[in-house]
Amino acid sequence: MGFTTRQIHAGVTPDPTTGSILTPIYQTTTFVQASIDEYLDKGYSYSRSGNPTVKALELKLADLEGGTDCSCFGTGMGATTATMLAFLDAGKHAIISDVAYGGTYRLATKVLSRFGIEFTFADTSNVDEVAGAVRDNTAMIFTETPANPTMKCSDIAAISEIAKDAGAIHVVDNTLLTPYYQLPLDLGADVSVHSTTKYMDGHNATVGGATISKTEEHGAAIRFIQNSTGSIMSPQVAWLTSQGCKTMSLRMDQQSANAMAIAKFLEAHPKVEQVRYPGLESFSQHELATRQASGYGAMAWFEVKGGLAAGKKLMDTVEVWTLAENLGSVESLITHPVTMTHADVDEAERQRVGIIDGLVRLSVGLEDVEDLIGALDKALEGV
Amino acid sequence: MSHFYHFDTLSLHAGQTVDPEFGARATPIYQTTSYVFPDTDTASSIFNLERGGHAYSRITNPTVGVLEQRIAALEGGSATVCTASGMAATYCAITAILGQGDHIVASSQMYGGNISLMKNTLPRFGITATFVDPLDIDGFRSALQDNTRLIYGELIGNPGLDILDLEAIVKISADNHVPFMVDATFNTPYLCRCFDFGVNITIHSVTKWMGGHGLAIGGAIVDGGNFDWGATDKYPTITEPYAPFQGINFWEEFGPSAFATRIRAEAMRDFGASMSPMNAFLLLQGIETLSLRMDKYASNTRQLLDHLSNHKQVSWVSHPGLTSHSSYELAKKYLPKGAGSIVSFGVKGGRDAGKAFIENLQLASHLANVGDAKTLIIHPATTTHGRIDAEGLVAAGITEDMIRLSVGLEDVADIKADFEYGFRAAEKFASS
Repeated sequence: MGFTTRQIHAGVTPDPTTGSILTPIYQTTTFVQASIDEYLDKGYSYSRSGNPTVKALELKLADLEGGTDCSCFGTGMGATTATMLAFLDAGKHAIISDVAYGGTYRLATKVLSRFGIEFTFADTSNVDEVAGAVRDNTAMIFTETPANPTMKCSDIAAISEIAKDAGAIHVVDNTLLTPYYQLPLDLGADVSVHSTTKYMDGHNATVGGATISKTEEHGAAIRFIQNSTGSIMSPQVAWLTSQGCKTMSLRMDQQSANAMAIAKFLEAHPKVEQVRYPGLESFSQHELATRQASGYGAMAWFEVKGGLAAGKKLMDTVEVWTLAENLGSVESLITHPVTMTHADVDEAERQRVGIIDGLVRLSVGLEDVEDLIGALDKALEGV
Repeated sequence: MSHFYHFDTLSLHAGQTVDPEFGARATPIYQTTSYVFPDTDTASSIFNLERGGHAYSRITNPTVGVLEQRIAALEGGSATVCTASGMAATYCAITAILGQGDHIVASSQMYGGNISLMKNTLPRFGITATFVDPLDIDGFRSALQDNTRLIYGELIGNPGLDILDLEAIVKISADNHVPFMVDATFNTPYLCRCFDFGVNITIHSVTKWMGGHGLAIGGAIVDGGNFDWGATDKYPTITEPYAPFQGINFWEEFGPSAFATRIRAEAMRDFGASMSPMNAFLLLQGIETLSLRMDKYASNTRQLLDHLSNHKQVSWVSHPGLTSHSSYELAKKYLPKGAGSIVSFGVKGGRDAGKAFIENLQLASHLANVGDAKTLIIHPATTTHGRIDAEGLVAAGITEDMIRLSVGLEDVADIKADFEYGFRAAEKFASS
């Protein structure tokens, strides 16, 4: 069945007791067992280990992503942490995209490094650099494509081959494109990671995360870590996220169309130094972005002529767009990564990977595109 | 051998059967609009009230249903319909049995919203009311008219705190074949089960002590199942065929729950003041600790009454638990576990002193609700009863210096200490 049908129906069956068309919110800690011999016969014991409302979302996401198993987490960082803890031990090595989300960078450099796990930050947009970074103890390659906020893309299929040869697993953070546009597991990756906070919820209502594994074995390894470390999604969040998923493709298509129009507008504007959006023919990896995904998403960045000072003035004065962290929601957001989302990344590292001081990040929402362009036009006039 | 569960057990279990699908211990939140029918025959029989079952959440919802059955069990009633607010409960209950040309005899000491409904809104639809001092039993009898179809009151009057003599009014209502409906919000079934004294219908704002945490608005109508609607022809909405449901006769089909069923079939369907499943879930959590909270309210109230009665800046204290109160004997009879946790008192220095007192409290919250876990305080003359004229204020037992206190569950020593901030600020007005 088509994606739009599955995003609505996958994982959901009418409640057998009442016929309720939506999965009830099982806001409960524990589940009554019929007898000791029938322990777990109905599938649930304690909501840290599993909950029917969360399960409905997990089944939906596993189906959409083309995986065998999904675990939902309290946050996207919870999903990333559990994935790393499941496959990396002291003495193991992981290669991470050097322009991953700032939180992933912080987790690797400031937290997991304390437990003897080694990390190499590589430019995963360059396949040769990934191959060169592989060591004997490499157990994981973690990519994010397109990467936040530079929009650099990594070749999922080629890197999955490198991982397979090295005996490592390839984890892809698929948050920015969602399974509607990009299916990393089909391209050879082993695990997809999501911040469901973004396009899956889509309404700025919840914070959540998910991992989807291609094999049951990998799914079980993540599930074991989740049950041991307790980073679970609440039934209320799962229920709201399930509702958000039902319009994911509609929102993605419209937000991406808005992003394309805005990117073209900015590219033609005399006060704009540069624009990066994978859908633009000027984008250096436009061919890769077109080949491995069916859409370009709704994230873009640009630099105003005049650098940081001009960019700040634009962000402080622009109307309609909201100055805030987060991305992927129906509300258009404008962000300055250097002071906000990527402030924990060393300055030298930021410069090296292309998070320049004047970079203005756009998360394009669902408003009328004329209003979004008009607001940027007016703000650009003032700088 | 039959065994009936006691109040505390009912407040935890009544109405809930463990989720048959997964065994979830808590009541699932059925946040859904509709229900999938297994076949068209089932659908048709649910629509025609021939069998139970859910069709659409405006009419019934499984989570709200658990709350409804729990409240019915605690009250000892035959059925409950939950509503979006306490005012919706009052409105739906009255309009289920009264229409143009009908009349209500009501207590004059009621929540301002109830008075406004009967004085300003219902008359627009031809329903009129006569208000009677709640202590004037003869007044209830003499206010009856040929077209009187309802006697209405609050067991603990607001804010004068006079207690209705339930048995005396039940006698008047029975003699005249008119149902007696009581707003039991301030007492809850823990302090008084009104049906035990012959009351026919109770109304609750479950927003208040029943829910207890000030976090969800909701109402309930409880059918006592003890009124003979068929004894006269005064209640055609219950006893005559109802066209929208193929001429169903509620009294013949549903007997003791005819009134509640009529409300579900008409008020929920046409007015749509339904409670949300999320609110029902939250309110169920509150009811689980109802008796624990009510005992603590009673204990804090007793200690504050003692404290205020002996305070040099307090001109008067009113609570039915005080021997000085006009309803002291009635409170002993109907509310032996405690006459509620609303206290009114005057601060020496009149209106200015009352204002200074309220504005200088730090712990108690200045707001227009009652029955929160937190201590709440308000000046009725300018807020809850602000839309009532001077004559009405007197009839409702309100004075300008009156402070209404809804005692909370905090450590009572902290409430007393907080009051000292207010008293110190009010001191300069005391001599003027």
